[in-house]
Amino acid sequence: MLTWLRRLIALGVVGLVLAFALGSLLPHLRTESPSLTVDISDPELIQKGEYVARTADCFACHTTLEGEDYAGGLPMLTPLGAIYSTNITPDKETGIGDYTFEDFYNAVKHGVRKDNAALYPAMPYPSYQIMPEEDIAAMYAYFMSAVKPVKRENQASELPPVFNWRWPLAYWQAIFAPEREFVAEHEDEVLARGQYLIEGPGHCGSCHTERGIGYQEVALSNLDSERFLSGATIDGWRAKSLRGEYKGLGTWSTEELVDFFKTGRTETTAAFGAMAEVVEHSTQYMTEEDLYAMAAYLKTLSPAPGKPVAGPNKEDTTTQKLLDGVYDSRGALLYVEYCLVCHRADGMGVPRIFPALAGNSAVFTENAESVLQITLSGGRMPETPHDRMAFSMPSFSSLSDADIAEVVNYIRNSWGNEASEINVDDVVKMRHFLSKKPRVGTDLPPHLGTSAQPQGGQHE
Amino acid sequence: MNKMHTLCFNWVPKAALVACVALGLAACDRPTPVERDAATYNVVHVEDANKDIGTYVIPQDTAIVNEPNADEIFYGKRLLNETKRLLPDNVGASMNCNSCHIAQGKVPLGDPYINSYNFYPKVMPRAGKEVDLEARINGCFLRSMNGKALDRDSREMKAMIAYMKWLSQNVPKDQRVDIENAGAIDESLVPDPVRGEEIYYAQCAACHGDNGEGMKDSRGDIVFPPLWGDESFNIGAGLARTYKAAAFVKYNMPMGIQTVGLWGHGNVLSDQDAVDVSEFFAHKPRPDFPGKENDWPLPSMPKPKDARY
Ligand code: HEC
Ligand code: HEC
Ligand code: HEC
Ligand code: HEC
Ligand code: HEC
Repeated sequence: MLTWLRRLIALGVVGLVLAFALGSLLPHLRTESPSLTVDISDPELIQKGEYVARTADCFACHTTLEGEDYAGGLPMLTPLGAIYSTNITPDKETGIGDYTFEDFYNAVKHGVRKDNAALYPAMPYPSYQIMPEEDIAAMYAYFMSAVKPVKRENQASELPPVFNWRWPLAYWQAIFAPEREFVAEHEDEVLARGQYLIEGPGHCGSCHTERGIGYQEVALSNLDSERFLSGATIDGWRAKSLRGEYKGLGTWSTEELVDFFKTGRTETTAAFGAMAEVVEHSTQYMTEEDLYAMAAYLKTLSPAPGKPVAGPNKEDTTTQKLLDGVYDSRGALLYVEYCLVCHRADGMGVPRIFPALAGNSAVFTENAESVLQITLSGGRMPETPHDRMAFSMPSFSSLSDADIAEVVNYIRNSWGNEASEINVDDVVKMRHFLSKKPRVGTDLPPHLGTSAQPQGGQHE
Repeated sequence: MNKMHTLCFNWVPKAALVACVALGLAACDRPTPVERDAATYNVVHVEDANKDIGTYVIPQDTAIVNEPNADEIFYGKRLLNETKRLLPDNVGASMNCNSCHIAQGKVPLGDPYINSYNFYPKVMPRAGKEVDLEARINGCFLRSMNGKALDRDSREMKAMIAYMKWLSQNVPKDQRVDIENAGAIDESLVPDPVRGEEIYYAQCAACHGDNGEGMKDSRGDIVFPPLWGDESFNIGAGLARTYKAAAFVKYNMPMGIQTVGLWGHGNVLSDQDAVDVSEFFAHKPRPDFPGKENDWPLPSMPKPKDARY
C-alpha cells in the first residue's frame, strides 16, 4: 500500500519535472530568427511602423487612462485576478529598450518573451501571428526610435500560484496558437487585404469571437469555422456578431461600416463601450482604402450558423402611441421620462448626435449585455476630427434594477425591434460587475476645444 | 456592495443568519436588486431656511398612475414637454416649456418646477405686483415662448398646474424644498462676445445650428430649440439677459457632454465661458416684446443691469 503511494508520488514528481522541462523547451521551438536587418532610424520605416501599430491597436492595451503612451500597466480582468500589460516604451531598464529585433519579433508574433517565457494570450499574438516580417520590422523601428522612453516598472499578475506559472502556458500556445500563415479566402486583392487586417493586426476576433474551454478563440479565421466573429462577451460588453445574419451586420452597408470605423458613428449608430475605444485608438487612423477593405470583407461573411437571416418585419406601433401620450407599459413611462429627449419618440435619435435605437443592430442584438451596460454606466462616443463634438450617454445607475430591466426590454422590443427579454437578475449581475470595473477613457468627457477651456475671469 | 452585507447581517432573522453561515458566506454575499437611488433634498420653512423639517424625494413619473387625477397630470406633463406641437396657437417660438425647464422641471439649477406650486402668488420685481402661478406660466407663454396667453381656466392650464402640484409632493404651503432654481454666476465678469462666438461654434452649434436656428425632426417637431432668430424667445424673456442666460448655460449646457447628470448636462464651462457665450447668443436678433414698457414699474425694484430695454 505504502509503496504504491510512494511510487505514485514519485511518478507524479517525475511527470511534473518532465512537463516542466518540456514546457520550458517549447518556447524555443516557437521562436525564430527573422531574416531582415532593421534600420531603426529610417524615417519612412518609422512612419510605416506607426501606422501598423495603429492598425494593431497596441496603444489600447499598453496605455492606462492617465498614463504615458505605451508605458503599460493596464489591468486585464480574468476570473482569477488581473494581469497587467507591460511597458513597451524603449526604456532600457523597465521597458523594451534592450530588445533586439528578434526579441521583439518573437514577443509580438509568437508570444515569447525575451527570457523565453511564454506570454499570456491577453496579448493577442494568436492574431498577430500572421503579420509579415516587414510590418513587425517597421513597428520595431517605430517603438525604438519614435516612442518616448518612460521609466515604469511592470506589475506582477494577481493570479494565484500554478496559474501564474509561465511554463504551462507554453502548452497552451502549442495547442491553441500553433504556427499559422495567412490564407486568403478571395482572389480579390481588396478583400484579401480586408481579411488580413481583420484576422491579423485588427485582432477583431479577440473580442468578437467566442472563446472555448481553454480561453482560446474557437476560430481564428473564417476558413476555420463560421463561428469566427459570431459574437462574444468581453468586459461586460457584448462584442456582437459581425456576420451576415440580420442581427449581425445584415442591416449594414459597406459605406456605413467605413463611416463607422472612421468617425465612430453613422447617421443612425454610434460606437460605444469597448468598440468606442477601438475606433478612438485604432480604426480612425486607418486609410480609407484599408477601411473599405475591412468593410467589404466583413460583408462577405455568411450568417452565423443557425441564426435567422432576415428580420421579423414587425410594424412600428410605438411611435404613434408615444406621440399620442398612450403610455401602456412601465417601460414606456420610463422611456418617456429618461430617454425620449435624446433617442426621440420614433426611436430614431438625431443623426450623428444621438444614435437611433429603432432598427439598430447593437440594440436588438441577441445578447443584451452591451445595452444593459451602457444604460447603467453611460459612455462617450469616440473623439475624432470628423465631427464637431463627441457626445455621451448619461449613466442611469440611479434607476432601480427592476426599472433598468423594464426600459431595456422596452427599447429592445419597440418600434420594429424584436429581441429576447432580460430579467432583474441580469441587472443585478451587471451592476455587481460594474462596481469592480476600472474606468476607461470613454467614461470621461471629451476634450473641450481650447477656446472653451476655463480662463482667468476678467473682472469689471 | 457594503449595503448588501449590512442588510444581510442586520435584517435577516437569526435562523436565516445561521443558515447563511452554514451555507458559507457566499450565499450571503449574493447581491440583491437595488431600489431607485432618487435625488433627495431637505424641506425647510420658508421663513427659516436653517431648520430642516423633512425630506423631499424627486418622484418618478411611474408614480403618477397611482394618483386619482393621473390622466390630468399626464396631460400636463405632455403639454410641458411638447408645447409647440400640442398648443400651436399659443406658442410663437419653436420652443417647448421644457426647452428651458430641464428634465421636466425636476433638476435644481435647471429652472425646476419643484417649488413653483407653493411659491406663487408672489410679488415679482418685473411685474411690480403680485403674480399667481397662472400669471407666471402666462409670462413664459408671452416672453419665452413668444406666444399668446393661455386661458386661465382652460383644461390645459389646469393640467400643467396639476403636474406642478404633483411634483411638489404635498410639501405644505409655508415650506419649500431647499434647492436653487438657478445656479450662481459671477456677475462682475465682463463678457467677451468674440470669445463667446468661438465657444458657440465649438460647443453649441452642433446642436443649436450654425445660425442659432436649432433643429427639427422629420415631422417638424423640435429636437434642439433655436437660440436666436424669429423662432427663438423674445427680448422680454429671462434668457435674453446675459447673466441669467449664463447661469442657465453654465449648469445645463451643453447636454450629453458627460456620463453624470440626467441629461449628461452642464458643469463643463467656466463662469467666463458661460458669460461670453451667453452675451454672444442673447444679443443676436430676436423678436421684440410688445409689453416691455410695463416691466419693472417700481423704483423700489429697479431693473437689473443686463435688462434689454
Ligand atoms: C489586447 C491587449 C493587447 C494588445 C492589443 C497588445 N498587447 Fe502587448 N501585451 C499585452 C499584455 C497583457 C502583455 C503582458 C502579457 C504577459 O505578461 O504575459 C503584453 C506583452 C507585450 C510584450 C512583452 C513585453 C515584455 O515585457 O517582455 C510586447 C513586446 C508587447 N506586448 C508588444 C505589443 C505590441 C507591439 C502590440 C501591437 C502590435 C501589442 N503588444 C498589442 C496586451 C496587449
Ligand atoms: C476590445 C474589444 C473589441 C475589439 C478588439 C473589436 N471590437 Fe467591434 N465591438 C466591440 C463591442 C463591445 C461592440 C458593441 C458595441 C457597439 O456596437 O459599438 C462592437 C461593435 C462592433 C460593430 C458594430 C456592430 C453593430 O451592429 O452595431 C462593428 C462593425 C465592429 N464592432 C467591428 C469591429 C472590427 C472590424 C474590429 C477589428 C478591427 C473590431 N470590431 C474589434 C468590441 C470590440
Ligand atoms: C442626453 C442624451 C441621452 C439620453 C437622455 C439617453 N441617451 Fe442613450 N445614448 C446617448 C448617446 C450620446 C449615445 C452614444 C454613446 C456612445 O457612443 O458611447 C447613446 C447610446 C445608447 C445606446 C447604444 C446605441 C448605440 O448604437 O450607440 C443605448 C442602447 C442607449 N443609448 C439607451 C438609452 C436608454 C435606455 C436611455 C434612457 C434610460 C437613454 N439611452 C438615454 C444619449 C442619450
Ligand atoms: C426660453 C426659456 C423658457 C421657456 C421656453 C419657458 N420658461 Fe418658464 N422660466 C424660464 C426661466 C429662466 C424662469 C425663471 C424666471 C426668473 O427667474 O425670472 C422661468 C420660470 C418659470 C416658472 C416659475 C418657476 C418658479 O418656481 O419660480 C414657471 C412656473 C414657468 N417658468 C413655467 C413655464 C411654462 C409653463 C412654460 C411653457 C409655456 C415655460 N415656463 C417656458 C425660462 C423659460
Ligand atoms: C447635445 C446637443 C446640445 C448641445 C451641444 C447644446 N445644447 Fe443647448 N439645448 C439642447 C436641448 C435638447 C435643449 C432643450 C432642453 C432639454 O430638452 O433638456 C437645449 C436648450 C438650450 C437653451 C434654452 C432653450 C433655448 O433655445 O433658448 C439654451 C439657452 C441653450 N440650450 C444654450 C446652449 C449653449 C450656450 C450651448 C453651448 C455651450 C448649448 N446649448 C449646447 C441641446 C444642446
